[in-house]
Amino acid sequence: MPASVDLPSRTTVIERFKGQGGRIAAVLPIHYPRALFRAFGMLPIEVWGPPGVDKSTGDAHLQAYACSTVRAGLSFILSGAGEVADAILVPHTCDSLQALASVLLDFTKPHQMVLTLYVPKAERASDLEFLGKELRRVFGRLVELTGQRPTDAELHAAMDREQQADEVLARLLSERGKLGVGNREFYGVVRSREYLPAEEFASLARAALDKWAGAPLPKRTPILATGIMPEPMDVLDALDEAGLSIVADDFAGSGRRLYKASTAHDPFDRMAKTLLSGSPDPTRGCGIQPRIDHLVDLAKRTGARGALFYEIKFCEPEAFYVPLVTRGLQAAGVPCLAVEVDITDPMPDQLVTRIEAFAESLS
Amino acid sequence: MSIPGQLAYQLNVNVLGKAALRVQRWQLERKLSKPGTWKHETLNAPIDTAPWLKELITKHYLTGRYANGARKVAWVTSGAPVEFLKALDYFLIYPENHGAVCGIRKVGEEMCTHAEDFGYSRDICSYARCDIGSVLSGKTPVGRLPKPDLLLCCNNICQTVLYWYQVLAHHFGCPLIVIDTPFIYDEAREHDIASVKRQIEDAFPIAERVAERTIEPKRLEDVMLRSRDAVDLWLKVLQTGRNHPSPITAFDEFIHMAPIVEMRGESATVDYYSAMLSALEQRAKDGVGALKHEKKRILWDNLPIWYRIRPLGEKLAEHGVAMVASTYTNAWGELAELINADHPMDSMAKCYLHPILNRGTGHKLQTMQKMLTEYEADGVILHSDRSCKPYSIGQIDQRNAVSDKLGKPALLLEADHTDGRAYSVEQADTRISAFLELLGV
Ligand code: SF4
Ligand code: SF4
Repeated sequence: MPASVDLPSRTTVIERFKGQGGRIAAVLPIHYPRALFRAFGMLPIEVWGPPGVDKSTGDAHLQAYACSTVRAGLSFILSGAGEVADAILVPHTCDSLQALASVLLDFTKPHQMVLTLYVPKAERASDLEFLGKELRRVFGRLVELTGQRPTDAELHAAMDREQQADEVLARLLSERGKLGVGNREFYGVVRSREYLPAEEFASLARAALDKWAGAPLPKRTPILATGIMPEPMDVLDALDEAGLSIVADDFAGSGRRLYKASTAHDPFDRMAKTLLSGSPDPTRGCGIQPRIDHLVDLAKRTGARGALFYEIKFCEPEAFYVPLVTRGLQAAGVPCLAVEVDITDPMPDQLVTRIEAFAESLS
Repeated sequence: MSIPGQLAYQLNVNVLGKAALRVQRWQLERKLSKPGTWKHETLNAPIDTAPWLKELITKHYLTGRYANGARKVAWVTSGAPVEFLKALDYFLIYPENHGAVCGIRKVGEEMCTHAEDFGYSRDICSYARCDIGSVLSGKTPVGRLPKPDLLLCCNNICQTVLYWYQVLAHHFGCPLIVIDTPFIYDEAREHDIASVKRQIEDAFPIAERVAERTIEPKRLEDVMLRSRDAVDLWLKVLQTGRNHPSPITAFDEFIHMAPIVEMRGESATVDYYSAMLSALEQRAKDGVGALKHEKKRILWDNLPIWYRIRPLGEKLAEHGVAMVASTYTNAWGELAELINADHPMDSMAKCYLHPILNRGTGHKLQTMQKMLTEYEADGVILHSDRSCKPYSIGQIDQRNAVSDKLGKPALLLEADHTDGRAYSVEQADTRISAFLELLGV
């Protein structure tokens, strides 16, 4: 095994960025324009949970049937840890995040500016036009917050940087099967896209690619994994131990955010086109068949021998797709395992056992 | 359209069905009007128009039974802009309403189980599970649901419907129109309204193609006018609850809301609510309340617990507590002023962007506070509906605001609108009893 990639922690990145006079935006899942924030000298730091947080603060506002991502997210924002943020962005992803944004705006009222972004649920001309205008609205709010007004050229430059980072991420994911690295370490790098500046991520990921490309390939069974995110990350250890390697990624936080480059002249049109160009995503109400086709194709291209549906309890967008999509994959010869977790709970033993049994059935 | 289909439709719906239902209604009306028939201890007799309502709903589902082959059928979400479909003579099915019927007939659990057996999670909305379960098993308490030729999904109530309708589109293989309504956290922006308007306009040719006819502007205008009249009348019906004693309870409203949800734009709905309003106004004039002895008045928030309507209503009535209004039934009336048949597209866009479920948690609290004042209510029961996240998340803060700032008792009652497995009778009874104590009854 090669020496592990040296990843800076979120705290280090935040402190360094703030030390240089930058601002931080805490961003909830899933789709949002990173470049827009960077053009204003802000670093988006994504809040996917986080799993270790004490949920009780959030529980004072949210019922137990809100998913753990949302409950942990609210707890995090309301805790001292959230204080580093100068603004909070809640993209419109699902009913639970919609409610979270609303509770923030109407009730808990944190001192930071709370921004919302309505991400359309289809990709028609009307959706693109709407999103362009919606992004202009968010731009206006950021002007209010920072007193700056980036030019079109600055916006394009920020988008170019994000595009390059996305290209490296796409390479990481598509070459995964040839990289001599375990799931845990691999996803450490993939998920650093959630908090590293694009240029830093791109160079770190390139270095990781070089390092892992030459390393011996461990003998593992290749699988496809889907869901919102591999959290808690202990699941990746469980997969490593079971001899499974995620070679096909359809997580909302990584594989579904491999946006296609756009050459639109207007920066907001370009941003809108990019944001709506990800792969079929249940949180955006994608069709069932396009998703089946996409996953079957992904499995075939990567040689995945099975598919893991790693779902978060109470996550409706994902849950609706599981029965038909797993059947579609199974019909195409890709066996599936669907499991459900609460990201704030420790990994249940029963889940580890199911993963082991799945691995055995595939080998 | 097939000729045998047309014949079966005309014979069973418009000739035999119509006659049989009219006789049934007449018999029921006679029974209820006989002095001494009604013997309930705490509740007064139902509203006079109840037999007519039964006739309307039964006719609706009977029509559905024979619709395939005779008319184009669309399945639509409850908050969808249906006027253009009505103008094209589609027969409309509201799967949510069908879910409510399953709940009332206490088969919700069974329907949900069919969906769960197929792999659908128990954590998804029970309306969706009921509907998918019914589609998969072919079972329904209403005889038979017609297959859709078109699906219309508007997410101004929740995002759940987006995923649910994708499942339906996959199953039925028919076109799906999505009207994506940006969520209104504070106020609607111009681009929100413009986007919805454009989507509705873009939906017309799809609906026309499936219907094999074109929308006549005059017909659309007529449907819109009837929609507006019905919504207007419905609001007036609800507002009779401001009388002391209230001639209607929210439990009555839950039952009587079926036409405003699934028969908007029809003249029968206008006629029905017009008659209902007269009946209620008469009751108010005569000082006849829904309860025999009204002592306290409360508000309901969120969907009903369909399978517990009667026991809950009776429990409250025993203590002289009248549930005089609900934010849920109010949602179908509060937008009356936004409907303008002179500007159909603009007004449709605005109207369908503004249902309570497409607005922030603060707006819902304001609605609750306004209704508490207007209906002179003494407290609120907030149904924390496990199935309905957009309605329910935010209720903890709303409850706190009502009790802390307004000093009114507010109960958060955990349940589910259709799936009885999420309702604990003992626990709910204890909490309701404690709430009644706070109300002082
Ligand atoms: S886990 Fe699912 S329900 Fe929760 S915030 Fe993410 S998309 Fe929404
Ligand atoms: S989630 Fe709520 S609004 Fe949506 S279909 Fe279910 S009950 Fe209706």
